[in-house]
Amino acid sequence: MTKNRLKINIGPQHPSTHGVLRLVLELEGEIIKSCEPVIGYLHRGMEKMAENRTYLQYLPIVDRIDYLSGFFNSFAYCNAVENLAQIEVSKRSQYIRVLTMEMNRLSSHLLWLGTFLLDMGATSPLFYTFRDREVILSLFEELTGQRLMYNYYTFGGLRHDVSDDWLDKVGDFVKIMPKKIQDYEDIITNNPIFTTRTKNIGVLSKNSTLQYSITGPNLRATGIRVDYRNSKQETGNKEHNSHGLGYLVYPELDFEIPTAKTGDSFDRYKVRVEEMKVCLKLISQCIDWLKSNTGEIISPIKQHLLKVPEGEFISNVEAPRGVCSCYVKSDGSGNPYRVKWRTGSFYAVQILPKLLENTFYPDLMAIFGSLDVILPEVDR
Amino acid sequence: MMKKSLKPFRDIIALALGHLTVFKHVFKRPVTLEYPEKKLPLNDNFRGEHALVVDNEGKLLCTACGTCQRVCPSFETIEIEKEKNESGKFYPKNYTIDLNKCIFCGNCVQYCPFGAIIMTKEYELADEKKSALKLDINTLKKNYSDSIIKKTVKSKR
Amino acid sequence: MEYLYFLYIDFLHKYNLPEFIGMATFPLLPFCMVAAALILVVLFLVLMERKVLAFFTQRKGPNRVGPWGLFQTIADAIKLLCKENITPTGAEKFMFNLAPLLAFVPVMVVWGLIPFSSEFDFMSYSVSALLFMTIASIPTLGILLAGYASNNKYSLIGSFRSVAQAISYELPLVFVLVSIVVLASSLNLRQIVLAQISVYPFCGWFIFPAFLGFLIFFICATAELNRCPFDLPEAESELVSGYNTEYSGMKFAFFFLAEYAMMFIMCAFMATLFLGGFLSPFGFYLSERFIHNDLLAQVLVYFEQVFWLFLKTFFLIFCMMLVRATLPRLKSNQLMGFAWKVLLPLSFLNLFFICCYKYFIYAK
Ligand code: SF4
Ligand code: SF4
Repeated sequence: MTKNRLKINIGPQHPSTHGVLRLVLELEGEIIKSCEPVIGYLHRGMEKMAENRTYLQYLPIVDRIDYLSGFFNSFAYCNAVENLAQIEVSKRSQYIRVLTMEMNRLSSHLLWLGTFLLDMGATSPLFYTFRDREVILSLFEELTGQRLMYNYYTFGGLRHDVSDDWLDKVGDFVKIMPKKIQDYEDIITNNPIFTTRTKNIGVLSKNSTLQYSITGPNLRATGIRVDYRNSKQETGNKEHNSHGLGYLVYPELDFEIPTAKTGDSFDRYKVRVEEMKVCLKLISQCIDWLKSNTGEIISPIKQHLLKVPEGEFISNVEAPRGVCSCYVKSDGSGNPYRVKWRTGSFYAVQILPKLLENTFYPDLMAIFGSLDVILPEVDR
Repeated sequence: MMKKSLKPFRDIIALALGHLTVFKHVFKRPVTLEYPEKKLPLNDNFRGEHALVVDNEGKLLCTACGTCQRVCPSFETIEIEKEKNESGKFYPKNYTIDLNKCIFCGNCVQYCPFGAIIMTKEYELADEKKSALKLDINTLKKNYSDSIIKKTVKSKR
Repeated sequence: MEYLYFLYIDFLHKYNLPEFIGMATFPLLPFCMVAAALILVVLFLVLMERKVLAFFTQRKGPNRVGPWGLFQTIADAIKLLCKENITPTGAEKFMFNLAPLLAFVPVMVVWGLIPFSSEFDFMSYSVSALLFMTIASIPTLGILLAGYASNNKYSLIGSFRSVAQAISYELPLVFVLVSIVVLASSLNLRQIVLAQISVYPFCGWFIFPAFLGFLIFFICATAELNRCPFDLPEAESELVSGYNTEYSGMKFAFFFLAEYAMMFIMCAFMATLFLGGFLSPFGFYLSERFIHNDLLAQVLVYFEQVFWLFLKTFFLIFCMMLVRATLPRLKSNQLMGFAWKVLLPLSFLNLFFICCYKYFIYAK
């Protein structure tokens, strides 16, 4: 450390580290010379916890890995167990899963948008996004009984069916939401302060995203169209066409995957905003299907006596913060032998030192905020 | 791409649009809910404090089978003392739920084979003493009758 | 002023008090009034800010303490008074304690320079506009001291930013002021207001010839006040709370008070320069028109003038709050670039334009 460098600790308690991340920065004037993320303040032993619990007992806990998008974790785990135990999931529950997950993605992106703009100093959008997120959370509460920790999926099905009444409410919400998104865009997208602060800041190149295993909107902002929801990948890279693409009923639904070009903070913002619109589109398609079709959703198997045959499985889910994979290895007993989680935020934190080098200190928020890192998901 | 010379004008228009959009919200009704006075309506699925279902004769439905213990993700939350009655059926002599450990996942309610345990809509559970959050069998019974009176749960019979 | 003086002596006579008491206390009265008014205005302003921001975001704002939350700020102030004053170890004690005063006292002083009505200007000098600018830049020194003395890196960065910002935004501010001085041919604030009288209501206001200047002045004033989008010195997402991170209790309250008082005064100054200060927007005074009792009308006119000034000031403050609610924060280098590359040339342009205007139109 040279003499005229200022060492500064951001976090673990700091207004804008979205939880308890600690960044050790070295500043030269206002230029960041080095950055070292220190993680682990929120470690709860999620993976170890699985080993002394039955498959069912572990299910409510996985919601807490990323508390802003509990459905995705839940689904990744359920999907792995279902594939190992060869449990069929009915079409209707698949549609409901897609519907709830897309709503969850929307709520997660809304929260990200609000806090990101708050980090940049704009106060009002935070309240607008929370207002709209509140609607989604209330709908979830009505469906599952709780606002964040849903515990709604079971192996092979769901806890209970959705009512037409509830679907109507979701339909109403979907109808007013595009106007709200337009409002956010009016406030911020073309704002010269915002654009100069985010354009060409924190540029992620295609190469480095692939090297650092960045996934999700952060990856798509660089122009690589990889999305596990889509069965037809356009990477040209054969390795990417692994299993798990186009899971659930996504191949039957009509949606496009938004991408951008440069991979700077602004593009990441843009991709997420576009993704919110895609979510709305998917939600309304699911509602239409669910209204016109009926089916069984309660799974026939006895959940608490579930024994999974020996084997291992990785299920990949396109979560709002990148691919969320759950690896389950079973030894044939009632408890999983090993569960391993791979979450998007962890990799986004990993690239921070590289991204932040030689940037301005105020850019820290524009970069870190746009990566959409959430700490419980990093530390697990 | 638009001409670069037009950029200042576009910026000014964008700024004005942003200000107008924010200003527009002055005329909308506030969405605040003044919490202690007004509360959000809860729906039937809500997962709050537990209660043990009592039938018309004042007997518990619970048979002390222990399924709820086995599905509970947090250990030692539910404790049951089993006992046999005269007719040879099991019943819980004591049944405690430690809300300090409970994560309100609702598994116990979902997988109880007799529908003997439910969750009420009570969620303001804060208390000065930890022991107040340890619900024994009498409190759980009382929770049920209270919520029947308050009509927050439907009678099971 | 004389008229009020005699009124005051008369009032004392009624209670059989000798005249010399009146002579001794009369000059003190305005200062007591100023101090009391300042505190009241700030208390109201904090409430207003919270309420207005709440309305912009569909909330209700403070509404628990008193009717409509009116006493919220008073409750907050009492809370701050009751809190412990912490001086961090390693802090430069003397300077640490001096800084809040240095930020607060100049604000009290400049408050007296604003002409509230054609009679109440407590300190009227021939160069009061210049004096205003000079004293109004002292609080920056307080901020620098606060950042330096707190022995905290966040505070230090915050205060550096504040000084850099103050220096670069003072320049365009002064150039716009010069253009106003050219228009009014005076450095006295009351003369500047009186120069805005015209035959038609509000057409003589300097905002019309100097609209560009007004915009520049508004932006620079926002920057001088460290308000959003220029609130870099206290950018909470980067610097926790900037220069006042280490302050607590009454010392923090001083900074807080100074900030809001300065905001009010800056807006009042802006209203004076551009919006005709205490002049009525109708071209006549309501009390003159509607109250036929001469004596009462004469006194009421002064209060009406104060009312108009406050109305204009609060309109400007409302605009500032709207800006705060909408815009994201600038980046420090962007901020400097904006001041030197955009605002300064524009203020030159404005000055040039105003000079031409004055030469061709007023000179005739
Ligand atoms: S509550 Fe239900 S699951 Fe639990 S012991 Fe009683 S009957 Fe069995
Ligand atoms: S709600 Fe969940 S954690 Fe609580 S007692 Fe029931 S099963 Fe256990």
